[in-house]
Amino acid sequence: MKETRLKILQYVSGIALFVIAGGHMLYSHFSNSDITSWSSIADRAASNWWLVFYVLLLIFGLYHGLHGLRTIILEYFSISDSSVKVLDYIFVIAGLAILGYGTYIPVEAL
Amino acid sequence: MQAIDSKNRHLPNRLGIKGWVWAGRYTWERYLYTLHRLTGLGLLLFITIHLCINGARIGGESTWADVMDIFETPAFKVGEYLVIAAFIFHAINGGRLILQHLAYTLGKPKAPVYPYVDAMRQKRRFMWAVLFVIVVLAIYSLVLFVI
Repeated sequence: MKETRLKILQYVSGIALFVIAGGHMLYSHFSNSDITSWSSIADRAASNWWLVFYVLLLIFGLYHGLHGLRTIILEYFSISDSSVKVLDYIFVIAGLAILGYGTYIPVEAL
Repeated sequence: MQAIDSKNRHLPNRLGIKGWVWAGRYTWERYLYTLHRLTGLGLLLFITIHLCINGARIGGESTWADVMDIFETPAFKVGEYLVIAAFIFHAINGGRLILQHLAYTLGKPKAPVYPYVDAMRQKRRFMWAVLFVIVVLAIYSLVLFVI
């Protein structure tokens, strides 16, 4: 995928995170409910809406974070195009593995 | 301006890592660039740790309760606020970067007649407004956090 498209996806995921991660932060840190209690997390894991919310948060967060890390690496280290490809594969595999693990947790905990 | 594609991606980053500490003549925007990267890396590290902690759910209710007890200590509360402050900075400054990269804050082109109005000063006014919003939100969230 061309660099421009990756960068536009970075902007799109950033805007999405502004809403989704911002909502997650507000709910987690500033709501009065005890959201770390076992009953609260079990209720959210049983709700399809919350699952969609958290999986979207994970997808956008992982793309934004890993692409950001890739940008920093490419800014400071002069590496060949073939090495960039290897780096891209590592990031894609790592991202999918973390996404799989992050999605598995609420499903397993049900 | 030279486009950055796969063939000429490796343009020299003249300040390098040293530029994270001393920005030379680049001044404020360069320090925001550094902070954007530092907060981004910090948030990425936080997400990784957050997911590892979430894994405690698989161990059941008692394991979960034991792990949650660790986070009631003052040191973790300070860390929690730092995550919130980093998120506020990264989100608002990221909005500034998107608008600037898409050229929305550079002003309309004008004839180069003295006294010149250059794009850099247009951006700087916007940058101060963004910094003001970040500081206000960081203080407001600190107040909410402490109460």
